[in-house]
Amino acid sequence: MRLLPFEYAVRNLGRSPLRLVMSVAGSALVVLLMIAASAFVRGMERSLADSGSPRNVILLGAGSEESIERSEIKSSVPTQAIASLRGIKSRLGQAYVSPEIHMALTVGIAREEQSTSQVVVRGVEFSAFLVHPQIRISEGRMFQPGNNEIIVGKLASTRLSMSEQHLALGKTIWFDDKAWTIVGRFEAPNTVMDAEIWAPLNDLKVSAKRDTISCAVLTLADGGELEDVSAFAASRVDLEIVAMSESEYYRKLIAFYQPVRMMIWVTAALIALGGIFGGLNTMYAAFASRIREIGTLQSLGYSRRAIVVSFVQESTLAAAAGALFAAAISLILFDGLAIKFSMGAFDLRMDGAALATGLAAGLILGIIGALPPALRCLHMPITQALKAA
Amino acid sequence: MIAPKFVPFILKQIIRHRARTLLTLGGVATAMFLFVAVQSMQRGVAIATEQSAGDNTLIVYREDRYCPFTSKLPEHYLPKIERIAGVKAVVPMKVVVNNCRASLDVVTFRGVAVDRFVEQNESNFQFIGGSLADWRKRSDAALLGETLARRRGLKVGDRFDAAGVVSYVAGIVRSDEPQDQNVAYVHLDFLQQTVDRKLGIVTQFNVKVDDPKKMNEIAAAIDAEFRFAEQPTSTRPEKAFVAQAAADMIELIGFAKYLGIGCLVAVLALVANAIVLSVQDRIKEHAILQTIGYDSSLIGRLIITEGVMIGVIGGMLGTFGALAVIEWGQYSLSIDGLSIPIQAGASLVVSGLAISIVLGVVAGLVPAWQASRRSIAACFRAV
Repeated sequence: MRLLPFEYAVRNLGRSPLRLVMSVAGSALVVLLMIAASAFVRGMERSLADSGSPRNVILLGAGSEESIERSEIKSSVPTQAIASLRGIKSRLGQAYVSPEIHMALTVGIAREEQSTSQVVVRGVEFSAFLVHPQIRISEGRMFQPGNNEIIVGKLASTRLSMSEQHLALGKTIWFDDKAWTIVGRFEAPNTVMDAEIWAPLNDLKVSAKRDTISCAVLTLADGGELEDVSAFAASRVDLEIVAMSESEYYRKLIAFYQPVRMMIWVTAALIALGGIFGGLNTMYAAFASRIREIGTLQSLGYSRRAIVVSFVQESTLAAAAGALFAAAISLILFDGLAIKFSMGAFDLRMDGAALATGLAAGLILGIIGALPPALRCLHMPITQALKAA
Repeated sequence: MIAPKFVPFILKQIIRHRARTLLTLGGVATAMFLFVAVQSMQRGVAIATEQSAGDNTLIVYREDRYCPFTSKLPEHYLPKIERIAGVKAVVPMKVVVNNCRASLDVVTFRGVAVDRFVEQNESNFQFIGGSLADWRKRSDAALLGETLARRRGLKVGDRFDAAGVVSYVAGIVRSDEPQDQNVAYVHLDFLQQTVDRKLGIVTQFNVKVDDPKKMNEIAAAIDAEFRFAEQPTSTRPEKAFVAQAAADMIELIGFAKYLGIGCLVAVLALVANAIVLSVQDRIKEHAILQTIGYDSSLIGRLIITEGVMIGVIGGMLGTFGALAVIEWGQYSLSIDGLSIPIQAGASLVVSGLAISIVLGVVAGLVPAWQASRRSIAACFRAV
C-alpha cells in the first residue's frame, strides 16, 4: 500500500489554526482529567496498600473488622498474646507487639478553635516503631510519656487544613480538651500513618477516659503463622477478639472505597465521552469540507486505506500534542500534591501507570475521533467526490 | 421568536446532518448529565444542612467528637436533659456504622429507646412495608429507611447483616428527613448488647424543643449542665451538626461546582460548534432565503432557534438520564453515620430546561448575527 507522505498530515494540521487549537485543547483537557483521576485513585490505593505488612497481624474486637477506630479490646490482650503465642518476632527480649488506640478527633490551635476536619490520633508505646518500620522521625525527638507530648506526621497539616507553622516543633495543639506539645515530626511515605498524630498510649487513655485499647499489632517471626494467632483469638472467647493480617485489613479498606473510586472513573469517562463527541463533530466538519480533495487523492492512485491512515495520523498528531502538553502540566501541578480525603491524606502519584492512562486516552481520542468521519467521507464514489462543492 | 410554521423547516435543518446532530446531542446530553449530577449533590447538601424556621431538633454529642465510635455519653444524662426548661422530649440514641470514613454505601444503625422514639416520630413515617407493631414486637427488629432498603434490595421479613449487626427487617419507612432515609432503626438495648456487650452508653441524645427560636439558648443550657461532667457535651441544631460533622465532604462537593460550570461551558462550546458548522454549510441557502424575501432578522432568529432546539433536546436527554440514574441508584454520600442524599427533583428538571434554552440562545447569537449581516452577493460569492 502506497501511503501519503507524513508531511501531508502535518501540513493539513496548519490549514485551520483555530480548529487545531480546539483539537489540542480538547485533547489536553480530557487527558489532564484522566491523569488526575488515575493519580487520585492510585495515590489512595497505594497509601492503603503500603500501610499494611503481610507479616503483621492485628488483634481487634470481633465485629470491628472494617474499622480499627470502632474496635475496643482489653488492655491486657497484648500481654496475653505474648504469653500464649510462640510465633511472635522478638529482639533482645522485646516482643514485636504494639498496643494501640486509634481515635478520630478534631484538633485545634486553641481550646476554642477546633478544626472541623478529623485526624486519626494513634496512642502508641515505643514498640510501635518495631512493628511499623516505615516510620522515621524526621525532626525533633520521640515523645516522653506522661508529659502530653506528641509527634505529628508529614501530611497531618494537609489533613487538618492547617499551616505547617501551627504544627512546628515546640508548638501546642489542642485535642480532647487538653494541650499537647509537638516534640517531633515523622514520615511514613505512602502510608496512612503519614497523616496521623501519635501520642503516648497511656496519656491518650487518660485523656480519652478509656481503659481499653483499639488493637494490638504484632509481627510474626519466621515460621510464625496467622492461623496460630487466629486459633489463639478463637480459643479466648472471653476476649472477644479476632485476628487478621494487616495487609488484609487495608485491602478491605480499599474495597470500602470502591464506590468512591467508581464515581471518580465514571466522571472522568463521561468527560472523555463528551470530548470524543466534540472531537468527532469537529472532524466530521473538517473532513466533509475536503471531499473533493479526497476524490483527487483517490484519482492520483492513493488507496482509501492510505487516505484513512493519513487522516488518523492528522487527528492523532493533534490529540498526542494535547496529551503531551497535559502530561507536562500534570507533572508540574499534580505530582506529590497532598490531598486530604476521609480521615486521611495522601500524595497524588504521577507514576508511569497514571501517565500511561492519560496518554492512552489521548491516543484513543485521536484515533476514534478520525476513523468514523474519514470512513464516511470515503464512501462517496470518486466522480461524485470530484464534483462536490 | 419565530412563527410555528418555521418549526418543521428548522427540524429539517437539524436532521440534515444526522451523524453530526447526534454527536452534538450526545455531547450536550453527557455534559448536562454531569451538571445535573453535580447539582443533585449540591441540593442534597442544602437539604441536609440548611435550617428552616420549623426545625426544632438538637443533637447532644460528646464534646470535640464527630465519629460515633468516639462519642460515648452515659444514658443517665437523660433525666437531667429532660429537666432543662424548654425541652419537650429526649430520645437517647446509639449510632453504629461499619466505618466512619466517607463512602457511598455506608450502613448506619440507630439504636433508639422504643417508646420514646415512637412517641416522637410516629407521625414522621409513612410505612411502605411492615408495621410499627411488628417492629416493637421483636427485639432484633429493624425499621429501614426507604433509600437503604432499595439500595440493598431488602424487603420485610429479610435478615439484614451489616456492621457486625444481624437484624430482622420488620418495616420499611418513607420520611422527609434526609437522616431517616438511609438508616436502620433498631432497639437501643439490642444494639448496645450486640456491639458493646453492655448497657448504659449512647452516642447522642436527640432533643426536641418547645420553641425553635430558643434552640441556641437550650443548647447552651444543656452544655452548661454537663460542663464539668466526666463526658462534657456539645449541643447543636441537627442540621448545623450535620454541616459541621460532614464539613470535609461538603467542601469536596463544593469543589464539584467547578465541574458543573465546566459542563455548562462544554454545552455552550458543543452547541456553538454545531451551529457554526451548520451555518458555514448553508451560506448559499441563506442567500437564496434572502432572495425570496426572508429578512435578515428572521434568518438570525431561525439560527438561534436551531441552537435552542439542539440545546433543549440534548439537555433534556442528559437531565432525564441523570434523573433516572439517581432515582434508580438511590445514592447518598455518608460520613460519620450521617447521610447527604444525592437528590434530583422537578426543580432540577425546570432549571435544566431553562439553562439549555439560555445556552442554546447564547450559542446561536454570534453565528446568527454574522449570517444576518451578510449581504446576498457576499453569500453567493462565499461558496
